[in-house]
Amino acid sequence: MELTLTVNGTVWEVSARPTARLIDVLRDQIGLTGVKEGCGEGECGACTVIVDGKAVNSCVMLAVQALGKEVLTVEGLAASGELDTLQQKFVEHGAVQCGFCTPGMLMSAKALLMANPLPSDQDIRTALAGNLCRCTGYKTIVAAVRAASGQETAAMELPSDTEELLANLSVPGLAPPRTGPAGTPSAEGGE
Amino acid sequence: MSTTDVVAPGTMDELVAALAQATPRTRLLAGGTDLVNDIRRPGRQPDLLIDLSHLTGSSYVRLDGGTLRVGAATTFAELESDPLVHEHAFCLQRAASHVGSAQIRNVATIGGNVANASPCADGATALVALDADVTTLDGAGRRATRPLRDILLGAGRTALAHDEAIVEFSFGALVTGHHSAFAKIGWRTSVSVARLSMAIVVRLDVAAEALSDVRIALGAVGETAFRDEVLESLLEGRRADEETARVMADGCADAVRRSIPGRYSLPYKERAAVGLAYDAWNALRICPPCEPAWG
Repeated sequence: MELTLTVNGTVWEVSARPTARLIDVLRDQIGLTGVKEGCGEGECGACTVIVDGKAVNSCVMLAVQALGKEVLTVEGLAASGELDTLQQKFVEHGAVQCGFCTPGMLMSAKALLMANPLPSDQDIRTALAGNLCRCTGYKTIVAAVRAASGQETAAMELPSDTEELLANLSVPGLAPPRTGPAGTPSAEGGE
Repeated sequence: MSTTDVVAPGTMDELVAALAQATPRTRLLAGGTDLVNDIRRPGRQPDLLIDLSHLTGSSYVRLDGGTLRVGAATTFAELESDPLVHEHAFCLQRAASHVGSAQIRNVATIGGNVANASPCADGATALVALDADVTTLDGAGRRATRPLRDILLGAGRTALAHDEAIVEFSFGALVTGHHSAFAKIGWRTSVSVARLSMAIVVRLDVAAEALSDVRIALGAVGETAFRDEVLESLLEGRRADEETARVMADGCADAVRRSIPGRYSLPYKERAAVGLAYDAWNALRICPPCEPAWG
């Protein structure tokens, strides 16, 4: 069947099977190979694209479901040839190793920032929970997304009286509290 | 190789016309997060796919007198953030937030969750505890409403006819005095398929200090989510205290033993049921947090 899809601002007329998945049309018909297929069943998030402002798994969505909607892929982030701020922060924070999960990570993070420009670390983790990365350990990715939102440190910081509280804390059977400076709060914030 | 036709009705009249063409090999496409994988398996190709994702007016939550009405095409992301669901069906809000990942919640619908009839469907478990009714529309244009428990027959099996689509869920809105919660145990904390889940609704009469209208649905411990009346009756009339939490946890383990006798997963699930019961009880927030005494 003939399908009309709007992808990265361009209208495409493609010919595809009625049951073609969105990922197949994006990769094989339109040539957008930044969209990756990992698990092929909606678990790993490598195929994540944005449809009408929302992150979706393009491997468990049929192309016909995207008719009349705006599809954004990783190629659309750097349409002018210049990296999007989010991509630039991934580079600066070393949030990319093998790179296979990166397009999906970027699109999940982009959808989050489009809806919530100042996310907390918990918001970032929730938005990325459906994107698996086997290299980075996620911390650099969360830091990159946080930095792209203009927050260089986590939104939640330890209260100013933390050192005093720690100094007065005494638990029977445990070593006495440190008397020196309590150290710098972790950039990851408290949990 | 045979091909699949796709129709995408935009109105309820067009949906009826599409359903009139349906055969037993026809499938209805809601969010597609389960169906797209299924129809790619050998022998599972449908003759006709009715794409419901362009149907207008099928995604909504509204309060109609004392009844909460939820359109079948409402996504889990919409349920999770809806203030009416939060206020009048908290267990459904919690269940919605536990479904899959953000990507899945953005497209997967409550109607698809029930029609797919997975034993571990989080949305179905919450709706069973809420005593939901299901309204359907068929190829002859007939609307019918029947209890959800009559629709869910088993794993992947429903009482829906091949030309019948779910259009709405409705149930009594929970109001002041009622409390509800949802708890789930999976392989990991997020993006997880339930190995055991529970939705609970109770009414707490503060003056009488007694629980009533106790409704407990268990998911993933049988062919489909079910209410366990033996477990519910153990809690009726009791106070909201630590002893009741213990009675509920013991009763929950018994309910799991009754549901899956001899199943390989029973030794795990009967013990997990205790932790699940405490999670659900504590999430009701009707008494100070309680903890199991692991023996």
